[in-house]
Amino acid sequence: MEFKKVTALGMAAVMTMSLAACGSSETATTNTDTKTDAAATTTDAAATTDTAATTDAAADTAEAAGVPTYAEVTLGEDYTDLTTTIKFMHHKTDREQDGTIANLIAEFNKVYPNITVETEGITDYAETALLRLPTEDWGDIMFIPTVDAADLPTYFLPYGTVEEMDQYVNFADNWKNEGNCYGIGYMGNAMGLLYNKAVFEAAGVTTLPKTPDELMTALQAIKDNTDAIPLYTNYAAGWTMGGQWDGFLGAITTGDETWLNQKFVHTAEPFADNGDGTGAYALYKILYDAVANDLIEDDYTTTDWEGCKGMINRGEIGTMVLGSWAVAQMKAAGENPDDIGYMPFPITVNGKQYATAGPDYGYGINVNSSEENQTAAMVFVKWMVEESGWCDFEGGYPISKTAPTSFVFDGVEVVSNVTSLEGEEDLMNEMNAESELNFNNGGDSRVQKIVEAADAGIPYEELVAEWTQAWNDAQETLGIEVLY
Amino acid sequence: MASSQMAAKPKKPFNLRKWIRSREGQQALVIVAFSIIPLALLLIFTYYPFAEMFKFSFFKMKYVGEREFVGLKNYIDVFTRDDLFSSLKLSLYYIGGAIVQLALALYLATVLCFGVKGGNLFKGCMFFPYLINGIAIGFIFKFFYTRGFVFDTVLQWFGFELENLPYWLKDRSINNISLVGTSVWKYFGQNMVLFLGAMMSVDSELYEAAMLDGANKWQQFKYIMLPSIKTIVTLNLITSITGSLSAFEPPYVVMSGGANGTATYFVKMHEVAHTSQKVGLASAMAIVLLMIIFVATILQKVFMNYVFKSSEDEDVNAAKKREKKLAKARAKEAGR
Repeated sequence: MEFKKVTALGMAAVMTMSLAACGSSETATTNTDTKTDAAATTTDAAATTDTAATTDAAADTAEAAGVPTYAEVTLGEDYTDLTTTIKFMHHKTDREQDGTIANLIAEFNKVYPNITVETEGITDYAETALLRLPTEDWGDIMFIPTVDAADLPTYFLPYGTVEEMDQYVNFADNWKNEGNCYGIGYMGNAMGLLYNKAVFEAAGVTTLPKTPDELMTALQAIKDNTDAIPLYTNYAAGWTMGGQWDGFLGAITTGDETWLNQKFVHTAEPFADNGDGTGAYALYKILYDAVANDLIEDDYTTTDWEGCKGMINRGEIGTMVLGSWAVAQMKAAGENPDDIGYMPFPITVNGKQYATAGPDYGYGINVNSSEENQTAAMVFVKWMVEESGWCDFEGGYPISKTAPTSFVFDGVEVVSNVTSLEGEEDLMNEMNAESELNFNNGGDSRVQKIVEAADAGIPYEELVAEWTQAWNDAQETLGIEVLY
Repeated sequence: MASSQMAAKPKKPFNLRKWIRSREGQQALVIVAFSIIPLALLLIFTYYPFAEMFKFSFFKMKYVGEREFVGLKNYIDVFTRDDLFSSLKLSLYYIGGAIVQLALALYLATVLCFGVKGGNLFKGCMFFPYLINGIAIGFIFKFFYTRGFVFDTVLQWFGFELENLPYWLKDRSINNISLVGTSVWKYFGQNMVLFLGAMMSVDSELYEAAMLDGANKWQQFKYIMLPSIKTIVTLNLITSITGSLSAFEPPYVVMSGGANGTATYFVKMHEVAHTSQKVGLASAMAIVLLMIIFVATILQKVFMNYVFKSSEDEDVNAAKKREKKLAKARAKEAGR
């Protein structure tokens, strides 16, 4: 009897506790705690499987001598009689729903009728993929989630050496470990300016602007000659401010690939006026001037992100500052997909325009799959990259070096911002936190303030002085050496 | 009895089994068993995190990584940085809104209490906004205030010209008032229902008696209704003002994170804690806000006591006046 009572009491306690745990995650502090906990567990899990799996993987690669490398597969000729079923995990739920992926697979099956491809689109991809990754039997192909470069061989099959892969695809070194390439992007993203070709034509702008001044002239022409909004800020959405404008810092605005991740934190006056329409100063000045000259929408506080897609498609908007990933969405939003254009960002450094580009999610092949499935997966990935035209369909920067592309960036040097120096990886994060400017880190309110200041008539120099002050104070607090 | 017997024989060794079976032991056991769960929950999920937050407020720290003890620096920052403490000024808008909201609720509750045709329908309609999720209300009002949308259209029906109407969210002189409007709209119905509930419980014989004595509606309200519901008035006032100090949803949702000069103290705190990851500073801000709310609540309590003290008894001045009148009348009588 006594024992029963105690158990009952214990049960009740446990149940109430678990209930309470659900309820209390509403408070901000507990919530974040749980998140970090979850993150910690995943890394823990990854770490524990690590050692065990590496030995396995080594054994597997020895066995898997029969799996061809990316270069060894000749599409349409090899393995056409291979019969198996592979599973592909991805995050493009919209393409899963509208049948695009099913169509691609149908095309694939015309050449490889016996390879059945099952797909799974996952909404909460970044987290779900990380949780499934250590289970080893998640399928055969996935878009690689955030995995440390050191762990890539534990989970994924190499496509070949980076050198070799570099002949076939762009960004071959993005997922690299000891000279091997473990991931191939499904599309690339470039940073530039989204515009409506018809609006530019109607405004009489025939050559694309190459400098901030030329852009202002073009925007003014749009205002004078058409009814379109010259530059739609998307102020109210928030992420479209800091999230997009900060993306041009670095090589695009300075022509220096090392500026963003190596020099920025050590610069005394990163926002100083270079006088030639370059640098961070010129970048944010574009936004300031557009607002000050009334070249934006009537009421910036009530912009509507979903609505802007149809508006630019119909020719009611001239330009928007968004990455190339947005092109496909804008094209799909109305009846004039051909009017949507993408141009290099109008900043010219020493007579040259730059664009930065990088891969979106990349295909990774499960190292623990059977040899047969790995071969089929290798064929499928190569077909997706080179033959499917998916990357171009999404309006992405090309991945394959041979596949046809409609992405044109004339007279632009495509570069990537190099990563930070060894031992200085955390400096940028610390500077962002200390200065509260949050570059490339959700600093939306800082960019929103540019719009507000321009609207209220506060001089741009005052904003710049404020940022410089915050930046220098942070450098001093953190003891960061000022070198530039 | 049992305890005195135990006390009388101190030599007897303490027997746990026996004690538990005794009436006293059973009583203690039941009390402990019933209160341990709620107490544990309270301690684990409220007081422990609070103590941790208090500790955090003395550190310079992020969510992960090392922590550095900085003493009172965070508190000094809260008061000296011109963008943090001054954002409390925006709370004045919300406090103003809270007072309008309570006055409106009290007025409508009184009207409904004296009996109106379709009263229940009105009650339902006015209470309804309180049931809508705050985030949804934010989105509703985002469209409501958009140039040329709902609000502007409705005003145009009444003859306003669009050119003469202000930009409700862009114009910095009125955008905070627009935001306060959303929270008044949401909460006045709830206040009204609370008032109405308290009013209904007043004995109707009192009104009848007052009517026979010739009291009009205003006098009934002042001398019968208001004193009877003073507890609920105080409660509503305290919750509304506390809510005003920690206003978050309207600026965060309608103005996408408090842009355009609408960032209240709470929104600032959120940004400091989550975007800039200055957890220590944000914790200090939270503690400061807590202290302010304590002070505000105590002040209100004192103020309300003062206000209702005079109306508890008869109005002193009125009594004097009546005495005078009576004296005059008596004098006249006597003079005759």
